[in-house]
This record gives sequence, structure tokens and C-alpha cells, in this order.
Amino acid sequence: MPENAVKYTEAELVAFLKQRQQSAFGYLYDNYSGSLYSVILSIISDRELANDVLQEVFVKIWRQIETYDATKGRLFTWMMNITRNASIDTLRSKGYQNNQQNRELTDTVYESVGSVSTNTDKIGLRKLVYTLKPDYKVLVELAYFQGYTQDEISKLLDIPLGTVKTRLRAALIQLREIVKP
Amino acid sequence: MDIKAYIESGVVESYVLGLASPEEVAELEALSVQHSEVRAAVDAFAESIQQQAMGTNIAPPPEIKQQLMERLAGDFKEGAIAAAPAAPKLSALPGGSANGKVVRMVSFKIWRNVAAAAVVLLVVSATLNVYYYKNYTQTTNKYQALLAERNTLQAANDDYHQTLNVIHDSTIQMVRMQGVPGKQNNMATVYWDAKTKAVYVYANNLQQIPEGKQYQLWALVDGKPVDAGVITDCRGVCKMKNIARAQAFAITLEKQGGSATPTLTAMYVLGKV
Repeated sequence: MPENAVKYTEAELVAFLKQRQQSAFGYLYDNYSGSLYSVILSIISDRELANDVLQEVFVKIWRQIETYDATKGRLFTWMMNITRNASIDTLRSKGYQNNQQNRELTDTVYESVGSVSTNTDKIGLRKLVYTLKPDYKVLVELAYFQGYTQDEISKLLDIPLGTVKTRLRAALIQLREIVKP
Repeated sequence: MDIKAYIESGVVESYVLGLASPEEVAELEALSVQHSEVRAAVDAFAESIQQQAMGTNIAPPPEIKQQLMERLAGDFKEGAIAAAPAAPKLSALPGGSANGKVVRMVSFKIWRNVAAAAVVLLVVSATLNVYYYKNYTQTTNKYQALLAERNTLQAANDDYHQTLNVIHDSTIQMVRMQGVPGKQNNMATVYWDAKTKAVYVYANNLQQIPEGKQYQLWALVDGKPVDAGVITDCRGVCKMKNIARAQAFAITLEKQGGSATPTLTAMYVLGKV
């Protein structure tokens, strides 16, 4: 957490980041790395890989801050989407796929003993999604955490595209109610 | 369009979570400009998601921040840091604040001065290079000249050293040759090694040789002159031909390369053994 007592408003922080100030970047990292790290860990279970992704995410944020448009939404929303996209890209990259196959094999072994589910299910938004009813859960899981398009989901689950669309939206409405403070 | 129904359709949540299609995104962004309720709904859900995410903080390993800082070190604009905490509230952003401009002006001035200083240093350095190179060349030339002189002196010294060795050899017999009448101020010396029969001659004082002429040493053996060689341009003692026995030595001035018989009218010095 931040070492100095300075607090920036979101607008100030963005302005200072655009000015390439190191202190602003440090502040950004201190305040948001923990929550963005949990977003990554809700998608990628491998800690080593998650660490790499976190670093890439902050480099991306730093390099793309010029493209952030405050009129379109909050800074955190923007950063969270960068984080999710980077995590899914990594998840879908070839190197990880191979890794994943090995891991799933191990998981199956463990699951047969009845002890382990992947820790990603217990983290952040994913934990909440797992409280949705199964129809909804699978759609959010595939769309949000695994990055499938609705078209792909339609084919994968053999459900009409229109149904995928309406059901996913209904699931998100329910999720909205769950995350409401 | 029923905005309330639109907001409740789940498209707002899709948008915030990055699940909306490009068409949906474009439509929502257009609508949120026209209808503040749309924007409010976006902000509200974004806020909930942020709160939720902030609440599930997982501290990453500390070395990641260090690695990031090192990786991005070249990107940071130093000097701006001190200005950051003291900065006034910047509500009417974006587009860079006055503060940013000042920082940029200051860093521009610093860089301009640094550049000017660098140019001056370069010119001074270049001038010194020329100066030192000239000095170096001159010194090298002088050194070469000294080296040549030293070699000449060394050679002369070696010759004299050899002369001394000859003179001090105990088996050496010295034959002083005095100037003949009319050439009294000439003198030369023969050093004759009784053991090896080697003959050396030293021109103590012989007249300047005219063009195309050379001095020749003769040994007088039983009244007959025997050629002992011409005296070349040697320093110190000159090694001549070996002579087995002789009663006297003489030097005549002969044509270049020497003669078979001495020109007695051109005899300069003569000495009896």
C-alpha cells in the first residue's frame, strides 16, 4: 500500500501518468496492483505466469495511458479490461495450453481423491460468478474468464446464439445485484 | 427508445466487463452522451466492480514492482516528482496542466544548457587534440633525430674501443711512421700482431685525400714493397692485410683501389720496425 500519504484523485493520477511521472506510476502500482493481481489470479492459477502477466499489464497501462479516455469510463474499468484481456491472451497462448494439459491431468488425479478445485474459482469476481445458477455460471465462465465469443459459446454448448445473448445478459444483471455493495 | 429498459437489458454490465460487441459499445457510448442515466448506470456498476476487486486484494511479490521500475526507468521524466504532491487539484483536465508545461520548460532549459556545455567541451577537446598531436609529432621527430645521433656516437665509440684493444694487446708491436721530408707533419702508426701477423694502421695525421685517390700501406720485405692494402674510410684503426715479416712500413698516395707497385714520389710516411 502507498508509503506516502499523498492521495491523488483519479483525474490527477491520469494527468500525472500522462506526464510520465515516476511517482504517479509508483502510486498507481501501490494502489491497484493488488486488485489487478487478483483479477489475473481469478483467470490464471499459475503464480509465476500471473506475476509475468501483472508486469505486462502495468507496462501496457503505462504505455497506453494516452489512449485512456475518461469520458468513456473509470480508470479502474479500463485497467481491469486490459488485465482481463492480457490474462486471457496468456491463457490462450500455445505455451500455456501445453502447461494447462499437464495441470488438468494432475487436477483430475486430485479430484478423484476429492480434495482440490483450482484456486481461481475462489478468487474475486469468479468466486461470485460461481454462486450464480449453473446456466448462468457456465456462460459467464466461458465469456468472461475464458474469453470465448458468444458465437463460439453457441457452438460449444449447442445453444442458439440469441439464447446465449439473452441468457448472458440476464446472468450479468444477476451478477450486478451480487456485487452491489 | 426506452432508456430504462435499455439500462436494464444487461448491456451496461456487458460494456463495463468488456463483453459488449463493437456495435453495442458504439451505441452505448452515443447514448451515454445523450442520457445521463446511462452514464450513471455505467459508473454505478463500474464502481461496484471496482469496490469488489479492491476488496479482494492479493499482494503481488514485492520484486515485481522493482522489476517494473527498472524496466520503465528510461520512460520516467525525472524532476517532475517533486512537483507532483504539491500540485493543485486538477479538475479541468485533460490536455496537460500549466504545471506540466513548467516542468517541460524547466527540463528543456536544463537540456539546452547541457547541450551548449557539451558543444563547448567538444570544441575545446578538438582544439586540444590538434595541439597535442602537433606536440606529439614534433617530439617524435626530435626523438628520432636523437636516436640516430646516439647510434652514430655508439658506432664511433665501438671503433675507438677496438683501437684501444689493439693498442693494449701485449703481442702487438707498434711501428711509428714519420712524415718523409716535405711531408713532415704527416704521421701514422702500424700495429702489428707478432702472433697472428695481423696488421692495423692508425692515421694519426694524414693530409686530406684528393678526389679519386686513396692511401695504400706497404710492407718493405727485404727491400721489396709488399702490398698491405688500401686504407678505407674507417674510424680508429683499420685492419689491413696480414704481413708475415717486414723490416719497414710506408704509406703512399695511390689511385682509387690501390696500385701493384708503390708510387715512391707520393710517399707520405715511413717507419722502420
